[in-house]
Amino acid sequence: MGPLIVNGIISENTNLFLAFIIGIGFGFVLESNGFSSSRRLAGMFYGYDTTVLKVFFTAALVGAVGLLFMSLFHWIDLSYIYINPTYLWSTLGGGVIMGAGFILGGYCPGTSFCAASIGKIDALAFIGGMFIGIFIFAEGYPLWENFYYAKFLGAPLLSDMLGASRGLLTLLVILVALGMFWVGEWAERRFARDDYTLNQ
Amino acid sequence: MKARIILASVLIPLGLIIAAVPENTTKPYKLTAGQLLEEVKSGTQFIGPDQVADMIISKDPSLQLIDVRSAAEYDQFRLPNAMNIPLVDILNPEWEGYVNQDVKLNVFYSNGTNAANEAWMITRQLGYKNNYVLQGGLNYWVETVMNPEAPESASPNEEFLKYNLRTGAGMALGGKAVDTAQPLEAPSAPKPSVQKKERKKGVQGGC
Repeated sequence: MGPLIVNGIISENTNLFLAFIIGIGFGFVLESNGFSSSRRLAGMFYGYDTTVLKVFFTAALVGAVGLLFMSLFHWIDLSYIYINPTYLWSTLGGGVIMGAGFILGGYCPGTSFCAASIGKIDALAFIGGMFIGIFIFAEGYPLWENFYYAKFLGAPLLSDMLGASRGLLTLLVILVALGMFWVGEWAERRFARDDYTLNQ
Repeated sequence: MKARIILASVLIPLGLIIAAVPENTTKPYKLTAGQLLEEVKSGTQFIGPDQVADMIISKDPSLQLIDVRSAAEYDQFRLPNAMNIPLVDILNPEWEGYVNQDVKLNVFYSNGTNAANEAWMITRQLGYKNNYVLQGGLNYWVETVMNPEAPESASPNEEFLKYNLRTGAGMALGGKAVDTAQPLEAPSAPKPSVQKKERKKGVQGGC
């Protein structure tokens, strides 16, 4: 049956419309989890608030378990699911730049729009910086094109690398994630800050 | 604290189940008889000789002509760069990489359309994509591309345009004055390498 668009059950335009609805839902969940607060997001790096870890890992686990069950029931053909290809060096480089920007600015791209939509000035400044970064990347593209495409690995799966089934790997990730949540909450007590409020 | 226990008591059993059951590797995508009938009725599998001629001349790398006639007929006359998969061999695993792929546009052809249509139906029912049938087969090809008939002088402009295109295409492919009883000069057809399946590009996203 699925993916809906590949099997012609919905059209390209319906797909975009559904993406729009899901996008609004995504924004709503971000905002209701307090992700429009740069303090909460930066707290991930200092250890006093690990909500980011918990929310995103829970979302990933629900997605992984859901997809595997849907595949089991023949509701979706997993071979049609798009997996972002891995270019090792640009992934690492991009991760470092993104992480640095995350600590400095207190947002990631999605949450900055979320915060800007409720009128936060620092989020607007963050978005401005993001566009400057996009501009520099696009204009200087010939300089880093080789780096950008270096070390292409295709779309590797952790389960294939470890020789485990997808289900077994998912179980392992669930256990690791629950362990991380426990560590996260320990860190929240250990690095608690008296002056920390979600919104100033 | 409590939320974590609820989360764990839901996710761990689900994880155990999914780890224990065998992975679903079957390809559920096969056409039912009804779906196939719909496609046959709408005739979407046909591709016109003009479009094929245009792709041959522009050396479109995505075109893969597949001659489903016998090897003897193929040796006698074939379209440029066509490969030969006789209809009886269409399910031979040796050819699966050619008929089940996401990269090229396969065009089956035979003298009429029967054999090509049969090849298309068999592969389509298996859920293979990108396979088409040359409309009218080789007979219609010779009639339209190789020896196009000049339109009446009072015909609409489109008819003349089509005729000009066809004479151009026919000449480029060594036609027009060709005697169809003679085997056509066809460039030797090197076997194209098997194309690996490529994943479709999709929308990218992130946090």
